[in-house]
Amino acid sequence: MEYSVRYTPFFMLACVLIVSLVVGLMSRRQDKGGYGLQVRSIGHANIGAAIASNWMSAASFLGIAGVFFLNGYFAFAYILGWTGGYVLLLVLMGSQIRRFGKYTAPDFVGARYDSSVARVISAVIAIIISLIYCVAQYKGIGLVFAWIFGIEYTQALIFGILVTLAYLIIAGALKAARNPQMHYLVLILSFVIPLMMIAKKLGYNWLLPQFSYGNALRDLPEQVSSSYLFPWTFGSPYEWIALSFTLMVGTAGLPHVLSRFYTVPNTRDARWGVVWGIFFIGLLYWSAPAFGAFARNWMERSGVAFDPVEARAIADIIVIKTAEWVGVNELLVSVLAVGGILAAISTITGLLVTAAGAVSYDIYYRLINPNANERHLLLVAKGATLVLALIVLVIAVNPPGLIAQITAVAFALAGNTLFPVFLLGIWWDRANKYGAIAGMLVGITITFAPILFGHIFPLLRTVLPPTSSALIGAPLVILTMIIVSRLTPPPPEHLRRFLVEKVHSP
Amino acid sequence: MPHHNHQDPENMEDLRINFFRPRAGFMRKEVTIIWITLAAWGVMTFGMPIHLAFTHNDPARTLSEVPYIFGIPAYFWYSGQFLILWFIFLCFFFNILIDWLGSSYRRRR
Repeated sequence: MEYSVRYTPFFMLACVLIVSLVVGLMSRRQDKGGYGLQVRSIGHANIGAAIASNWMSAASFLGIAGVFFLNGYFAFAYILGWTGGYVLLLVLMGSQIRRFGKYTAPDFVGARYDSSVARVISAVIAIIISLIYCVAQYKGIGLVFAWIFGIEYTQALIFGILVTLAYLIIAGALKAARNPQMHYLVLILSFVIPLMMIAKKLGYNWLLPQFSYGNALRDLPEQVSSSYLFPWTFGSPYEWIALSFTLMVGTAGLPHVLSRFYTVPNTRDARWGVVWGIFFIGLLYWSAPAFGAFARNWMERSGVAFDPVEARAIADIIVIKTAEWVGVNELLVSVLAVGGILAAISTITGLLVTAAGAVSYDIYYRLINPNANERHLLLVAKGATLVLALIVLVIAVNPPGLIAQITAVAFALAGNTLFPVFLLGIWWDRANKYGAIAGMLVGITITFAPILFGHIFPLLRTVLPPTSSALIGAPLVILTMIIVSRLTPPPPEHLRRFLVEKVHSP
Repeated sequence: MPHHNHQDPENMEDLRINFFRPRAGFMRKEVTIIWITLAAWGVMTFGMPIHLAFTHNDPARTLSEVPYIFGIPAYFWYSGQFLILWFIFLCFFFNILIDWLGSSYRRRR
């Protein structure tokens, strides 16, 4: 394979990473505690931008366009799942979780269910969710680095992850401040501006490619066009509904979801931040399918045959490929590549930190060494970060699906375990630790059974697609929790009193 | 604060929290707002694919039968463009109601 480095994106990436470290270094403040309780009032739009920037992972930036390129209408299940989930989160849990007062998922589970067993199980789940989610991000990094440096995937993956970890470590050592609003702005511009140029080059309305891609689809040969437009070409109604439902409840069950509501001093600001957040995320999700549509449009125009195997191989970087094929300015193509990498790096950082925190505080401190001091725990967390990063690397060498699909499995796990536990923990006083433990174990089983045993029992995969098992899973787990809780003693009175007086009072 | 009498088992009722039997007052109003928002969310989100599942099964017929908007099938525009707007609106609407609920309780104090 010819060794051909694409220098423009290479230099752009290097510059962006270095500049962001320098800026982070220059703008750091004495920030005690990780949740930055700043006294000055933060505008809701700013909060929203922070939420959105947190949400923009390789799955959003790269993955969705790829799914649309391959599967047309089916991709909307991903889009709606990942936006609609926030509605669920806001409406069913936001204020209540906040009033409960616990910052992390294991903290909440441990406190609400008064059980260290439940706490540890939820910590393990949170770690597994982070790992699966990370595998998807790693794939993105591997693919984009492979594209930039002209090397094959595995080498690119290792190289890319080394760069990511180096960046993580340096940023941590420098105590570089992060600016989520700027991060969001950079990502959305990196996404939309090249898209506008792609639309322009192809001759469609370039001001609003989010609308004009429909014309790009209509201009395809009828067979192809109808495959994209017809809702059930690439997935049955059950699969579509199950997937979007799973992603929605998964959103409401993600472990780092709680922190979304703690980064600002009061709940009302957090709630309004979410409204802006969905708008900002929506800007990305309105635009993503356009890449897939323009890609296919270009292929048909240029007489490039659509080979399903090849298409699947490039789907996850179709965003970059489209720009390259259509022939927009090289800088804009590079911007897309760098944007994808930034999205992946920032997500990986957040996930590894959450997971390492769970390893250190919820497992090591609680189970292994309750006498450990803060410094010791920090060391364990750092070690855990590296170990987890390596575990993900091993899995990511052979990614089991598209970026969006792998991410969806993480959401399925969250929707099958943490979502029911949060939901019943808030809305039913009778939910107790036995119910929670039983529920989480059932949820884990439901999530992994189709993955592990799907080839022996194909029916499992039909009824419980690994990406979409929570449509059946969440209700089943809720039912389990109800039954088990009713059969066992109620939670202690002080907890139920707390629910009444603090969580469900004005 | 609800007064709790340890000797009286019937007062254990005081500490019940149940989404389907919300406590009178603040919780009940909050739950009502939640139900309305959830219904609006659920029906609009899942109503469309369910409708499509039953009425549009044949690719050839579907694309010539459905209404079109902005050059694409209406359901396509609905799922890809409109619903996201709807979600934003729902959150906005929910927040307004919850704000109103919160301020009406603050006034009572």
